[in-house]
Amino acid sequence: MIPVQLASFFTAAALILIGIIGVFFIDNLIKKVIALSFISDGVNLFLVTLGYKPGGIVYIYMPGMSSSWFAQNASYPLPFALVLTSIVIGASTLAVMLAIIIILYHRHGSLSSKILED
Amino acid sequence: MKSLIALMVILPILCGLLLNLLHKKDRTIKILALTVAIILPIIPLIASYGAYYFGGYPPIAENPTIAEYLPAYITRSYLVKFHPAITYIFNSAQRIFIFILGIVAFLAIFTSLNEVKKPSGVYSFLMFMATAAVTAIVLADDIFNLYVFFEIAAISQAGIILSSNIKGSYKMALRYLFLGGVAAPMLLLGVALLLGAIGNVNISDMIFAMRNGLIDQGNPIFLTAAGLIIFGWLYGSGLPPFHTIKSGLYSKALPHAASLIQAFSVFTLVALGIIILRLFYYIPVVRWAIIIFSIAGMALGISMAIMQTDFKRLIGFLAVGELGYIGIGLGLGTTMSITAGLFQAVNEALVTACLFLGFGTILYQTGISEIDKLGGLLKYRPGVAGLMILAGFIMAGIPPFNVFQSKLMLIESAISAGFPELAIIMILLSIVTFMTFMKAYYSIYLKPEPRGLEVKAERIPSSTIFSMIILLVICTILGILPQLATSQFGSIIHGLL
Repeated sequence: MIPVQLASFFTAAALILIGIIGVFFIDNLIKKVIALSFISDGVNLFLVTLGYKPGGIVYIYMPGMSSSWFAQNASYPLPFALVLTSIVIGASTLAVMLAIIIILYHRHGSLSSKILED
Repeated sequence: MKSLIALMVILPILCGLLLNLLHKKDRTIKILALTVAIILPIIPLIASYGAYYFGGYPPIAENPTIAEYLPAYITRSYLVKFHPAITYIFNSAQRIFIFILGIVAFLAIFTSLNEVKKPSGVYSFLMFMATAAVTAIVLADDIFNLYVFFEIAAISQAGIILSSNIKGSYKMALRYLFLGGVAAPMLLLGVALLLGAIGNVNISDMIFAMRNGLIDQGNPIFLTAAGLIIFGWLYGSGLPPFHTIKSGLYSKALPHAASLIQAFSVFTLVALGIIILRLFYYIPVVRWAIIIFSIAGMALGISMAIMQTDFKRLIGFLAVGELGYIGIGLGLGTTMSITAGLFQAVNEALVTACLFLGFGTILYQTGISEIDKLGGLLKYRPGVAGLMILAGFIMAGIPPFNVFQSKLMLIESAISAGFPELAIIMILLSIVTFMTFMKAYYSIYLKPEPRGLEVKAERIPSSTIFSMIILLVICTILGILPQLATSQFGSIIHGLL
């Protein structure tokens, strides 16, 4: 494992941990949503790091490339495809959460998570 | 007819999107939604068994034309058996799960369309989307595809709760999404770990790689991945520590929506549970974790149900408690216990749907959900009260109904697996479930009517009663002929054991 990959794994772990702490210990609802996006960004970074290949090329088969050279040099595309989907899903979930928070703010005049208690 | 496998997911999604576009065109919405809802349970009955490859990309071994163009180091390796495309697997077990899900979805959509003069296209869209997502979870042989639909199911369920317009529904939906915001990335992290260790996300390929020594099964990464996927499974199914939020979700949904959402929980529990067993059956701690969380779900669900004064919360906690029986069946890991667990899942989805619809009739009559403020409803609609007590008997496991058959199988399998303690716990909790239900039933139907209680019995829609009768008839048929369901699970169990 090369240093860049190792650093990325540590950054991903840090993002996930910061996110989990933020979700459970921060009172402000908007900040909770930001913490949630930290968690999903951490997981996405982990996936991207899995697919990283030192000196690898983009996995698009161009004219003139030999198939064996392409197979040896192209990055592994699957993690990137997964991350793309994950980002879209994450964005839509965050949008729904923010929309609910806006409505709750208009009703209660507060962004404290205490408004979620019955 | 294999294209029908994909249609089980694509049709409700397409219908949902059309309904969204047709918002405010009431008559068109009703006709389209009802037509597709009727088709939903029919498709699994006529679809052929097998695998469906999206994009038409089967494994290389099944496609000699492609193999001709590939180098020998690929065609002579295990790679030829790997699945290059998203794959759906449809067998007899999936047939019965999707059929039952389709029946519950049809009845929920039918009831919702008949309750209102102006149906909401958006609301129907959410019900169809969630149904499509859970169907995809049941069919998926690709763990990332499963994660995608897991998220879609969560957002759709939150949307259904938001649309219910019940007091506190926004807060409950946000809390559910917050917890989902933690649980779903954990599930994805588990998927990422498996991808890192095996290099693929297809479940069959992963199992193939594990069983043929292509990877080291003793790698601790697999245990970590199992833990993370189990965390996602607990969220999706509503087992502890998510039992409170799940029962809260049921209580903030309209009765027909609650009946559908609980079916989503049941089938998510089963589908993800089977995948966890397929991938990690060889790790004993995984099966123990499933059993422990299931027992906790049963104990916490039923004990919290006793304390409830609101019947919607009560039935929500009872539904969570019943989920534990399914988990125990899967966790014990024997042929009989898994059959019993899967049969319990089918029964649970049917009877709890009936109970949610039944409790909805009380809301139509009185608009009150606090048990203490109700009483004497038996004289207004004795037929509905009769259906309710029948549903309560079925849930508690009274013979000769279907839940009795599945719970008896579960108890026998626990004893034969060498865990008589589990059998005793299951019997005791069934008795407590029965007592809790009867206490609520007495307070609502038999106790003298409180002064000032305004009852409008004519408000109960006939569609609700029709749906309850259909569900109870299926429960009775499965009670008399349990082999109709139990004989269908062989394909899954053979693959597991």
